[in-house]
Amino acid sequence: MVVDQPEPNRYESLTIDDEGIIRLVWPTGVVITGPSARAAFEQVNRLSADRRRPMLVDMATTKSVAREARAVFGERSAASRIALLGRSPVDRVIANFTLGVSQVPCPTRFFTDRDKALEFLRVGRQESAE
Amino acid sequence: MSEPPAEDGRLDQLVDQIVQLAAGDLSVRLEASPARDSVDAVITGFNLLADELDMMYRTLEQRVAERTAELDQAKRELERLALYDPLTGLANRSLLADRMSQAVARAERGAGPPSVLLLDLDEFKTINDGLGHSVGDLLLVEIARRLTAVVRDTDTVARLGGDEFAILLPDIDEDQALRIAERALTELQKPFAVGERAVWPAASIGICFGTRGQAADLLLRDADTAMYAAKAGGKGTAQVFRPEMHHAARARLQIASELGSAIEQNQLRLLYQPIVDLRSGAPVGAEALIRWQHPTRGLLLPAEFIGVAEGSGHMVDIGHWVLRTAIAELEQWPDRPARESFKVHVNLLPVEVRWPGLAELVADALRAHGVPAAQLVLEISETGLMTGDIGDLEALLALRRLGSGIAIDDFGTGYSSISYLRRLPIDSVKVDQSLIADITTDPTQVRFVGAILQLIEAAGLAAVVEGIESVEQMQRLAELGCRYGQGFLFGRPVPWSTIMSSLLGPTRPTVS
Repeated sequence: MVVDQPEPNRYESLTIDDEGIIRLVWPTGVVITGPSARAAFEQVNRLSADRRRPMLVDMATTKSVAREARAVFGERSAASRIALLGRSPVDRVIANFTLGVSQVPCPTRFFTDRDKALEFLRVGRQESAE
Repeated sequence: MSEPPAEDGRLDQLVDQIVQLAAGDLSVRLEASPARDSVDAVITGFNLLADELDMMYRTLEQRVAERTAELDQAKRELERLALYDPLTGLANRSLLADRMSQAVARAERGAGPPSVLLLDLDEFKTINDGLGHSVGDLLLVEIARRLTAVVRDTDTVARLGGDEFAILLPDIDEDQALRIAERALTELQKPFAVGERAVWPAASIGICFGTRGQAADLLLRDADTAMYAAKAGGKGTAQVFRPEMHHAARARLQIASELGSAIEQNQLRLLYQPIVDLRSGAPVGAEALIRWQHPTRGLLLPAEFIGVAEGSGHMVDIGHWVLRTAIAELEQWPDRPARESFKVHVNLLPVEVRWPGLAELVADALRAHGVPAAQLVLEISETGLMTGDIGDLEALLALRRLGSGIAIDDFGTGYSSISYLRRLPIDSVKVDQSLIADITTDPTQVRFVGAILQLIEAAGLAAVVEGIESVEQMQRLAELGCRYGQGFLFGRPVPWSTIMSSLLGPTRPTVS
């Protein structure tokens, strides 16, 4: 279900799929700022409705992530496990800067393969269900 | 991912970015290409590293700025503590010394020499002890305010400690300095309100006019000497320093150092002045008076050393010596008259009354010499009693419980009322000689003294009039109903042995 209308420079879409995985997609060439990261996180929390869920973040083609945004990613949220999905070496650098600079509050990894990313999230869902 | 072609300009741009970063320009960033290949990843990495570095620098600079501000604040606070008096906010001795050196240096470069005023409050200890330290502190703050109000912007008012203040007047002529001293005296003579009471914090001021080339510390020393001269010459006055004042200051120091050994070397003496019954002429007692048989200066009167003794901390020892000696001398007593018909009066200073073991000391001495307590009367001056606190009253009550008498001395020189006296544990009043000086020539004074004697009698107290020098004075006092008297008419102070022999055969003036 689509619950939020994308705005310029903000996330493109934020949904929960049939498996209960949050899917956050950033638009092509986006510069993720502190406020846009904050807006995305607040929406994630609202969507999850007091439950912690795994989250797939599609960040391929992200242009850059501001330092303030990276600090937001270090905060605890409704996400129980995060897979950062990219394609290029640039995505990998950005993702790892995000992971390295912030102390991430839940297991977070970078993937270039969507299936492997979903597999990582599903493992987590099983763990939290057990 | 394929290797970038050699002609790819992005690597050169990256090298330029690194050079600029190395030069300290942390704002330089490169745009990654749409290819988002490994070279773009390196570019993105450098951009992010530059961000981090920039942020770390900013954070560091901000912290340095904060710490510097804290250090500056701490330094100012330390400076304030080191250079200013915390109670009054005035300069302290260190800052004064610094400003004096500056003023002296400016005088050497052509400015006028500085003058220094040194002020010491005349009755601060009395106020502090009598009304409490918090009142004393308020008084000091008020004095600081008044002094600051009378000086120029360029002058420095300092508190040197206790109740001592100094004012540095740089580049000033003598007339201006005197005017400031006068204004300070006037300001300090105005009353200071403490609740519903008022106290008068009068000060003595020493003034030293500087001369070109005079060392700063000598200015302060000379002002101090002048201040002592002002105190000695009458309180609430100012004195300009004169070189001969040093002799007096040296003499005081000499006395203070010699007093320390005066007791050990048996140089103190007690003389006794008789107190007589004006109707019969019979001696009823004697007042013990201290003298110092100085090895080179001869017999010294109390006025020449008691002030120094009080200031140098010898007073309690001397007071104890007087008590022990007077009681010891009382041990010798003839068969007649009965002991209780003759009392020995001993003076106590407020500092002795406040000494905690006074009653025990008296009791021990009386017991050791077999002297009944009733044969001893302790005299405390009206001013001393008025400025005392409850502790003094307790001490007097303890002496009364022993059985000794308590007399108020120099009555008429202070401001106590008869109703106040009635509440005190005393049994006699010694009327000051100043009240009877004109009694033979001034009818108003006769009525005045008569009224005082009646009030004393009405309060249930016995009156002894001091300073009787003529038969006329004695007769007038007897007519007014005065029972007891003391003065040269009845005898000058004499050794105890003389008193003893006179007890055996009195030949004294009586009221005819």
